[in-house]
Amino acid sequence: MPGKRFLMNAGRTTKQGQQINVGKDSAEYQAIVNTITMHPDDMKEAGILSGGTVRVRSDNGEALFQCKEGKVPQGMIFVPYGPPTCRLMGQSTDGTGMPTSKGWEVEVEPVAN
Amino acid sequence: MIYWGGNPAECHPRHFTKYTIMQKGKFVPNGRKGRTMVLVDIRETPSAKAADLFLQIRPGKDFEVLTILRALIKNQRVDSRIAEETGLTLEQLQNLVDRMKNARFGIIFFGMGLSMTRGKHMNSAGVLMLAAEMNAYTKFVAMPMRGHGNVTGSDMVLRWSTGYPFGVNLCRGYPRFNPGEFSTVDLLVRGDIDAALILGADPGATMPQPGIDHLARIPTIVLDPKVTHTSRLARVHITTAATGISAPGTVYRMDEIPLPLRPALKSPYPTDEEVIRRIRELVAKKPAWNETTNGELATV
Repeated sequence: MPGKRFLMNAGRTTKQGQQINVGKDSAEYQAIVNTITMHPDDMKEAGILSGGTVRVRSDNGEALFQCKEGKVPQGMIFVPYGPPTCRLMGQSTDGTGMPTSKGWEVEVEPVAN
Repeated sequence: MIYWGGNPAECHPRHFTKYTIMQKGKFVPNGRKGRTMVLVDIRETPSAKAADLFLQIRPGKDFEVLTILRALIKNQRVDSRIAEETGLTLEQLQNLVDRMKNARFGIIFFGMGLSMTRGKHMNSAGVLMLAAEMNAYTKFVAMPMRGHGNVTGSDMVLRWSTGYPFGVNLCRGYPRFNPGEFSTVDLLVRGDIDAALILGADPGATMPQPGIDHLARIPTIVLDPKVTHTSRLARVHITTAATGISAPGTVYRMDEIPLPLRPALKSPYPTDEEVIRRIRELVAKKPAWNETTNGELATV
């Protein structure tokens, strides 16, 4: 079954900034960069449970994340930057030197635990 | 004050209190009460709580909003249907223009929500043009909100030493600048380089995966106080003292003011500067790779 399409928006959070200084091996840091936030209605529609595992696919690759509901507009996903987002992000810089680091089209589907 | 595509409440937590909306100034004796803060973003971040006006635009529509604002400040007619495609109404945009024109001194702080999405450098150019054109009506400036510590420092030093802020190629013995060709992500993703020296960065956790894979293939040397994703894939990791904590140095604030750092602690590890100096001294002792240069490049 093909997953539903969303716009993935990567960014930073204060907690992530603190954890970078603790160490990127810490369980807290790993949990932060492996968790996406979605609108509750989007999750219901895609059949994703809060805290459930999802597979996110972009044109460039795929990665597994935990999913939680939060305050993001419908159709959008928020995720803190980290090794999983590296696999999804754009590789072309359009001649600017800056890869497309926000606003990728992705497919999301729940993964049975 | 306009914050555009940035979330300072989370990413620059001292910005509001130390430098912008909360500070009392000679011409703004009431601090926060004497200022208007507008936030433009695609989602309601914690920064929206600090704003007098939050404008939520559709993702990827920054350039369109900027272009409409530039038309409105010159009293050009704008079709309300075109305006609505951005997620805002023409009235909201006109209201923003009126507030901007009525300000005595305005500033646009633009973040990576603007420069890393569709449009990229054209969005940044749009902000700079808008700020420049606003000066026909009132004093207006623009300033980028940087992503990591001391990115401004790297830009500043490269600018006064080579004339360019990033993406500089020194292979011919003089600086050449071409983003997309000589910029790090492009060189790595294309696999153009056959060795890498990484200082104060963790591309292994931030760059596109093909670039990370290439770093793992080639001899990569990392100077970092901590074990990072990049240090794990590197052939050599030299542990260095943490700048500002156990090593001295200079850091540039986002408004390009250099600040000297006084280390509070001593470190058993060398500083980044010391490691680089020792590598340079050893490289200078090696025979020149090209006789015509007579070793000059190696000692530059």
